[in-house]
This record gives sequence, structure tokens and C-alpha cells, in this order.
Amino acid sequence: MRKEQLLHKWLNNEATAEELEVLKTDPEYASYLQIAQASSDFDISEMDTQTNFNAISNKIKPVRQLQKPSVFSVVWKVAAIFALLLIGYYYTTTLSTSIKTEMAQTENFTLPDGSKVALNSGSEITYTKNNWDDSRELSLDGEAYFKVAKGKKFSVKTSEGTVTVLGTQFNVVARDGFFVVACYEGLVSVAFNDKLVKLPAGQKIQIENGSLLLNETTENVAPVWLKKESSFENAPLQIVINELERQYDIKVNLGDVNLEKRFTGTFSHKNLELALKSICEPLQLNYTINKNGAVTINAKHSE
Amino acid sequence: MKQPENVCNENTFNQLYEAHGKPVWRFIYFKCGDTAQADDLVQDAFIKLWQNCAKVTKEKAKSFLYTVCNNAFLNEVAHKKVVLKHAKAQPDKTNYQSPEFLMEENQFQEKLKNSIENLSEAQRTAFLLNRIEGKKYAEIAEMLQISVKAVEKRMSQALAILRKEIGNV
Repeated sequence: MRKEQLLHKWLNNEATAEELEVLKTDPEYASYLQIAQASSDFDISEMDTQTNFNAISNKIKPVRQLQKPSVFSVVWKVAAIFALLLIGYYYTTTLSTSIKTEMAQTENFTLPDGSKVALNSGSEITYTKNNWDDSRELSLDGEAYFKVAKGKKFSVKTSEGTVTVLGTQFNVVARDGFFVVACYEGLVSVAFNDKLVKLPAGQKIQIENGSLLLNETTENVAPVWLKKESSFENAPLQIVINELERQYDIKVNLGDVNLEKRFTGTFSHKNLELALKSICEPLQLNYTINKNGAVTINAKHSE
Repeated sequence: MKQPENVCNENTFNQLYEAHGKPVWRFIYFKCGDTAQADDLVQDAFIKLWQNCAKVTKEKAKSFLYTVCNNAFLNEVAHKKVVLKHAKAQPDKTNYQSPEFLMEENQFQEKLKNSIENLSEAQRTAFLLNRIEGKKYAEIAEMLQISVKAVEKRMSQALAILRKEIGNV
């Protein structure tokens, strides 16, 4: 079998000249050599390198240059459309309705669920019509009286706190750190400054700068402002004057008045002269009404 | 730290095509004996290489190509005989040879050609890889994923069959 090995060695191109001679002496192996040699001279079909390469490139390129970027651009397009839809949806659903009253003006209106709202002067209510049945929530800046239709939770958000009810009549004042909630029917819960107060019918609370000042009964069955009056109980003078300015649309100049004074009482919305008297006399103040309509209030002793 | 180079780079890919396109094509042509099929298999193998470029290092690309081609070939079982063209004109020598010798030579070539085409696929592939491509047994063994001993066996068988078919010349 040595020759067999030599043959393989030769076929592997590793045989020496002497080894080749050894193989040639054997006729069997000589003919193997001849066959092998002749076979090497055959030609076979050649590969068409360029055509095949073009075919490969054509099949690869769509993957690489067209599809890949387009996959991303499609993703971006879809994302952009979704973003637009989302923004649109968000915008339309959170689009809020705002009702505002100017000075010396009140407004009555009905919410989508039939709840009635009376808005006092210089106040604003904002709510979203959409989803009103799911979340009855509005924000208030100023004073308003609510007659809430029975239904889901009804919330009034103010900068001073939140009033929550299920269906009742109540009044909310939220102005300049002064927060008064009066309940006329049903039960109201008032959340302010991490505290929660349950307010039954005929009860009212007054909160100043986050602290509870007053929690007492009220004889009224509806807020007095609906009857063109403003009522205060131990309220800071500034709050009272602000209300006066709103109701008569005037400017009040306070002279050397001690703003620490507190006012308890009522003034009318119909007669400025009378209203000024109601405020000034108990507090020992003097007032003058200028020609241009501005009012000046001074302390009495200064004269 | 040096990352092993993969073939996702277009230049690398083109280099691989230059280097291995033809040998792979020959290899698969020896197996299937059909230029069109060889074209398809080689194209598919290179496309697959590109699609898997991230996973295949440059060093592994060659055996990847052979393996993919071979597997694809095995899936397409039908194969034909390798069509050999006549031997390239042998220069100079012929001038001094007698007409009888030339005729014999031609007959011999013709017989050999037919005999090679009649070898089994396994024998023919190994034989032609060695004879025409000049591949060493070790390389053939690697390509066909068989042992060197098996290549030797196939070569011996092929030579024995060819000798038997042609008869003693």
C-alpha cells in the first residue's frame, strides 16, 4: 500500500521526483497518473462573476438602502401621526369652558348635568365639558353658589382648598386667602391645607390663610348675595372693601385705616351710600365719595 | 480591545466575494453540475452572509459560505452531471505529434470526460476539487466536512473507476 500512499502524496502535490519515478514503474499507477494529469487539463464552466455580483447586490440593496431607512421613516411617520392625534385628543378633551363675571355683574348658568351655578361679581369658573358625567370637577376663583344635581362626586377646586359634594346646595368664596364655604342642603366636604371638614346643611366655615377661623351654623337658606347683599362675619377689612369694589365697580382708597380691623355685618349691593355707611359706622370710619366716583375711607379720629 | 471584524462593511463583503465567489461556485458546480443552480446557490449564500453579517466574522465567512451552499444544495436533491469542456489547447507539444497520436489523445480525453461525468457526486466533487481546483486533501476534507481518510478513499475510488472505464490506454 506504499504506492497508494505515494499516489495520494502526489495528488496532494507533495511527492518528490524520486517518488514519482517509483509510481511510474507500476503500470497501474502510471495509468492513474495519466488519468489524473489529463483530468487537470479539463476546463469547466466558468462562473460569471459580474452578473452574479450584480444579482447579489440587487437583492441586498433593497434590504440595505431602501428598506432599512424606510422602516425607520415609516416608524417616524407613524409616531408623528400618533403624536399629532394624541395632542389633538388631549387638546380637545381638556379644552375647558370658562365663565367669567366682570365687576358689578353676576351670572347664572347651568352645567352639563343640570347643576345650577350662580356666579358672583368678579369671579371665574373653569370646567371641561368633556367627561363631565365622569368627573364633575371645576375650578373657581371668586364666589359662587352651587345647586348640585344628584350624581357622582362634584368637586370645586379653589386655590384655598377643595369642596366636594354628592348633590347639594352650597356657596363657596375663595378670594385672596379668604375661604368661606356655606352648606344649605346635603353634606359638603371641604379639603384645605391637608385637613378635611364635613359640613352638614345649615353650617358654614371660614378659613383664612389655611387656618380654620369659624365653624358655625347659618340661618340663611341661600347665600345673601343672591338677594343683592354681602354678609361678613369677622372678616378682614380688606376682604370687605375688595367685595365692595367688585359689587359697585369702584375704586376705594384707604387712608390711614387700620387694616387689622375686622367687620361683621351686611351691606347692600343696591345703594353705595348705604353700603358705605353699613361698613364705616360700626368700624368708626369716615368715607367720602369723589366726583369721579372714587371713594376714600379714613379713620374717624384723624379729623 | 479589538472587536473581531464582521462582514457588515461593504468593502469587506466585496473582498469576500472576490476571494471566495469563484471557488464556492466551482465547489457547488462540481456537486450540482448545473451553472444556473450554482449561480442561485452562490447568490443565496452571499445574501445570507450579508443578512447575518453581524454574526459572522471575516475569518468564519469562508466556511459559512461553503456550509450554506452545501446545505442548500442538499435541500435541492436533484442534480445533473458536471459538464466538462474539452481540455484547453495544449500549446507547442501538439506541433510535434503525429495525427494518430492526436486522434488517440482526443479519444482519450473524450472517454475521460464521459467517465468523470459518470462518477458519483461524492467521488466527482472530491476528484475535481483536487484535479481542477488543485485543492489539497485537507482543504477538500474541510469543505466537504469529511475526514482526510475519506477524501483519500474517494480519490482512490474515482481513479480506479476511471481507469476501469477507460481501459488501459
